[in-house]
Amino acid sequence: MRDVAAIGFGLHPWGKFNDKSVGELCRFAVEKALADAGVGWREVQAVAAASSRFSGGKGWGLNGNDIVEDMGSTGIPVYNLSAGCAAGANAFNIGWTLVASGAHDVVLVVGGEKMPKGFIQTSGNEEKTDPEFVRQRMIGMPGPAFWALLCRRRMAEFGTAEEQLAKIAVKAHKLSVHNPNARFRDEFTLEKVMSSAMVSYPLRLFEICPVSDGAAAVLLCSADFARKKTTAPVWVASSAVATARFDDGIPRGLACPAPKDGRAYHSEAAMAVEKALAAAHIGPRDVDFVELQDNTVYYELAFPEDWGLCQPGEAERLMEAGETMPTGKLPINPSGGFLSFGEATTAQGVFQICELGWQLRGQAGPRQVPDAKIGLAQTLGLGGNGTATVLKR
Amino acid sequence: MTETKTVHALDGFFADTAEGPRLLGSRCATCGTAYFPRSAMCHNPACDLSKTEDTELGAEGTLWSVAIQNYPPPPPSKYNEPYQPYAMGVVDTSDGLRVLTQIATEDPHALTIGCKVRLVIDELYRDKDGTSVLTWKYRPVV
Repeated sequence: MRDVAAIGFGLHPWGKFNDKSVGELCRFAVEKALADAGVGWREVQAVAAASSRFSGGKGWGLNGNDIVEDMGSTGIPVYNLSAGCAAGANAFNIGWTLVASGAHDVVLVVGGEKMPKGFIQTSGNEEKTDPEFVRQRMIGMPGPAFWALLCRRRMAEFGTAEEQLAKIAVKAHKLSVHNPNARFRDEFTLEKVMSSAMVSYPLRLFEICPVSDGAAAVLLCSADFARKKTTAPVWVASSAVATARFDDGIPRGLACPAPKDGRAYHSEAAMAVEKALAAAHIGPRDVDFVELQDNTVYYELAFPEDWGLCQPGEAERLMEAGETMPTGKLPINPSGGFLSFGEATTAQGVFQICELGWQLRGQAGPRQVPDAKIGLAQTLGLGGNGTATVLKR
Repeated sequence: MTETKTVHALDGFFADTAEGPRLLGSRCATCGTAYFPRSAMCHNPACDLSKTEDTELGAEGTLWSVAIQNYPPPPPSKYNEPYQPYAMGVVDTSDGLRVLTQIATEDPHALTIGCKVRLVIDELYRDKDGTSVLTWKYRPVV
């Protein structure tokens, strides 16, 4: 495998855009990434795109084909990747593989999404073989309730207080104030978070990410190509994909085998991170900052512990001490995270990687992690899909 | 007084047996792993030979976690009007399952993690024609 550089990052701001198609959002992001890289469309040799279930892609998740038609039908190969909320980073993994393997020198990775209103719902197919449908029909348990169950277990194990959960949302919005691409850019007081509607006890409305529209693109290339375009490329140290393990104790359908030690953890995320760190020849403590998938504040506590970034039960204290802010020991989601952006499912894996790029270039302004050299991004998707990406400068 | 007509929300997930309510699952004869719902295949990568057999599971267990559904859930969930928040839980059953469930209780906030629970068949909602639509739930053992 050869070295792969990331030389262009582009984002359409996250929000709700009723008068724009997902194609328009993607074009905006792609044009930004190409301009950032100083690369013309005709230089792009392949596209790896996240497939959307919700919009565009001719109803078949062919979102990459839409982009190529839009930008210019050069006849290049397109790879459309489906992996639920992990799809953007799965597409990145394929883009990286295409360049690392030597198959192509210049590959565009893109994810774009327009989300239906409200919490994410099932496909609408009422099939007994669809565990999402059965869980919601038979138990009345939508996604946020599932997160609430994991969160409540943590509260029982580590004594996490409701106020500590709220403080994570407060922290996210302290950073979103400085991110022009975030959808919710106001500072949130502790009182505002604590007085937001209880969605699923113990989780409140502002402790759960809403859904948004958005698009993101990254241009990947070989080292030789990168040298022609820039003197300071960002490098892909590693990119890893994993699926859930049999024995991780998280029931993804209606049930799973009860683990003997009682523990439950997202093995797809933990394994992807473990593989990515190993491939980058670094340990968890070598990571300068992380963009992790905070569908809910709970994950900002659980994930760093699952991955060895800190000790089990330590996350609340680190957060309260300000150590998860950009200037702390363990900066988490300097972008403001999904809590500030909202979830644009297939685009967000690529958005995280854009934030990694800007942080490593020192272009993140007031939310900059000082002297950031190594960044980790992670996603989690339906079906037990996990990804991890390490970028370095 | 006529008896209320009942129907299972979906067929094939639970049954009222001679020994009491049970979940309809499978167990692998080779490695012993329990599954719910029924599974044609054993998912255990360490198991040498997938050999799942139908079995009845989940009569009792321990509450691993609990949460409350404070707002009316979107479709395809169904519930009685006016909406009343209900408790949901994760139960580790004595026969090896970790199962998602509603918790049958009058006081969702009083539930404690670690409490003993028992499987019951209970109403999920009433259909327009008055039919009581049933699902599985767990109820704290007092």
